Amino acid sequence: MSAGVRHNVSFETNNIVLIALVAIRSIRYSKWRRCCVHGARLRGFLLEKINFLTSQYSSFAKSPFVDKITEQYNYEITKNPTEWKFVERLMPFKTIPQVVPKESYPSGWIPPKEEARKLPYFIPRTKNYAIPIYLQLSFKGNRKITQLKKIEGDIWLMNDDIKHLLKTKHKRYVETRVHEVARFIEIKGDYVNDMKEWAFSKGF
Amino acid sequence: MGSRQVIEKSLTLLRSLPRVSLNNIRDNPGSKRTQKRGRAQHGGDKHGCGNKGSGQRQNFMRIGYETGTNPFYLRVPQEHYYKGHHYRRQYPPLSLRILQEMIDTDRVDVTAPIDIASIVKTGLYNFFPDQKHFGINLTDEGADTFEAKINIEVQWASELVIAAIEKKGGVISTAYYDPHSLFLLKNPKIFFESGQAIPRRMIPPQDAIEYYTSAENRGYLADPDQISQARIKLAQKYGYQLPIIENDSDYNILSERKDPRQIFYGLEPGWVINLKDECILKPKDEELLRFYSL
Amino acid sequence: MVTLLINAIKRLQVSTLLPIRTYVSVNPQSIPLDNSLVVTKKEWKFPPAYTKPREVWIENLDTLEEKKLGLFELHPSVYATTPRIDIIHRNVVWQRKYRWVSWAHTKTRAEVRGGGKKPWPQKGLGRARHGSIRSPLFRGGGVAHGPRSGKTHFFMLPFHLRIQGLTSTLSTKLAQDDLHIVKDLELPSDEPDFLLDLIESRNWGPSVLIVDDSDLAPRNITAAADAIAHVNIMPVYGLNVYSMLKHDTLILTLSAAAKIEERILQHLHSITTDKEASFKLNQV
Repeated sequence: MSAGVRHNVSFETNNIVLIALVAIRSIRYSKWRRCCVHGARLRGFLLEKINFLTSQYSSFAKSPFVDKITEQYNYEITKNPTEWKFVERLMPFKTIPQVVPKESYPSGWIPPKEEARKLPYFIPRTKNYAIPIYLQLSFKGNRKITQLKKIEGDIWLMNDDIKHLLKTKHKRYVETRVHEVARFIEIKGDYVNDMKEWAFSKGF
Repeated sequence: MGSRQVIEKSLTLLRSLPRVSLNNIRDNPGSKRTQKRGRAQHGGDKHGCGNKGSGQRQNFMRIGYETGTNPFYLRVPQEHYYKGHHYRRQYPPLSLRILQEMIDTDRVDVTAPIDIASIVKTGLYNFFPDQKHFGINLTDEGADTFEAKINIEVQWASELVIAAIEKKGGVISTAYYDPHSLFLLKNPKIFFESGQAIPRRMIPPQDAIEYYTSAENRGYLADPDQISQARIKLAQKYGYQLPIIENDSDYNILSERKDPRQIFYGLEPGWVINLKDECILKPKDEELLRFYSL
Repeated sequence: MVTLLINAIKRLQVSTLLPIRTYVSVNPQSIPLDNSLVVTKKEWKFPPAYTKPREVWIENLDTLEEKKLGLFELHPSVYATTPRIDIIHRNVVWQRKYRWVSWAHTKTRAEVRGGGKKPWPQKGLGRARHGSIRSPLFRGGGVAHGPRSGKTHFFMLPFHLRIQGLTSTLSTKLAQDDLHIVKDLELPSDEPDFLLDLIESRNWGPSVLIVDDSDLAPRNITAAADAIAHVNIMPVYGLNVYSMLKHDTLILTLSAAAKIEERILQHLHSITTDKEASFKLNQV
């Protein structure tokens, strides 16, 4: 009946169950209520058999716990540091590893500088050591907003510096939005590359 | 530094305000919209169901039915350009640029062979074996600026990528992992905690055997002699001096390979890893050893 | 000219004085004269990048009058972040709702007793057509879209919002002088009056939440706090936004403050993809 599952049920029982199933389904609901008492007893007995055959072991609720394991195999317990090293290598990081300073970074990753901490404002790196400057696109890509997040220090001074920088570079007034509580500055337009260049030059 | 510092400003502000308590906090204005019940002229009356017909009587016609005209889905013939595309194996890409960034920021240990488990461990790459993802496809973005000497094992790599890695004295191989093995590699911790024995890796299906037995693709089932020849050929094609790995100080790391039936480096099939007591249970029974034999 | 002047003033960082609430108890007798202060200089695993760490007094619970036993440094990412009141609110709402089961229940037209028979024929009477006297249109009929018993409101607030809720609340408590670090929880007696007098003399709020690193607290403080409803002791793993806001003052032991800082910093600097994924029950 259920594909791929072997059951130690004899052929006779199978037949009885099949016949009973057909019999139950042919009784109409109104008649069923009248022969409820007799039917319940018969149904209970047959349901037991049916449930045994159609129980879904793949279901969490219905699969029974494993007990009485008959197979016993010989095994040995080893504590080998060389082998355990391979296991430890597979375990996830507890915290993201800190970057060891190197002479050059071929991927183009720029490390933050210590001198940046003395500035009146500061942008710390994210936990993945990236700079938190993002481009927000909306309205089918027509609205572009450059967002500088996680700002610390004098946010208004940073705002003035950015506006002055972008105005001299692009010969155009640039609209910005300062959000003090959430500590970000939004610039209207796509100035991500300019801002990243500026941030790296400052040493953030 | 005074109140110009943005964090100090907000914290100093709090000092002159009443104690923040359960009765004086609220969400940002505009963050919650109250549900408007459908009553009266707008939203009410027929509640968007129109007049009479199957729509108002909630007895809709089947999807695609166009009230008798030849419907779109019958009118337009099928074009089987992508038939069965959802059955094909997929290899989510990882560029050489991102790989170099992982190496630069010390997320990936270059002093050990790199496989899919170490790349997923970085947190910067993810794949979903239940969505027919069969591993890493190393792409050639960043091949020009790739500078690391590594022993890497991926599931799909193009010729340019193989050349970029071998040019720097590294070793690349392509290996097949069946979906069960991929689940294990994606999250080894959960697998070890389940207390099951490490299974054997399955051999590739028929349509993948050709890829993984060819030396051009550096397949793990290919003849090592043919691979050496292919390395020389590729160096000549792309015009670089092929570094001699045998003379390299990192020869041990670069030559380390997994057995075709092995899933994890250094751990054999049949072993049960006990993370709590930091020990490994190895089978001694002949039946088990025969079953798990590599 | 005017803009130049304004910019110059900005760079001078002249701050406008805000009315600052000062009820910090700086009792000269409490600071020991013999330079026996324990100034704990920490070796940070994740050193503060720009914002300065906070320094707090280490106080005692032995005597009624406070003695300052030393200075302790607190990491700014945990104890001096911008207080996000909206995130604190969302945390409180989450804590209230996720366990709540609504037991309100109404009967539908199928469950209301009766109403199986068509009350009167379809046509001929001049009355409206009806199929059952228990339809929602009828007085005494079932409710159409009413509450159904055992409705759960479980949801998980995103992981980073829960962490931010904790850091915002801790920062708020420290900023509003409601956070005190205490060396240990050793009281001289188990009288609840002593604890009440201590709270009164130190100007701590009537309700006090004491957080320690371990599950077991010393006998005296346990007995005293047991008798007082608004003074509660909690282990570090029970720290939550609702309890911190419910109690006026938050007392942390040295080890508890360090543990909280270490755990939150670890979460802030680890790969949290698994924790940010939508909550799923782990089934075998």
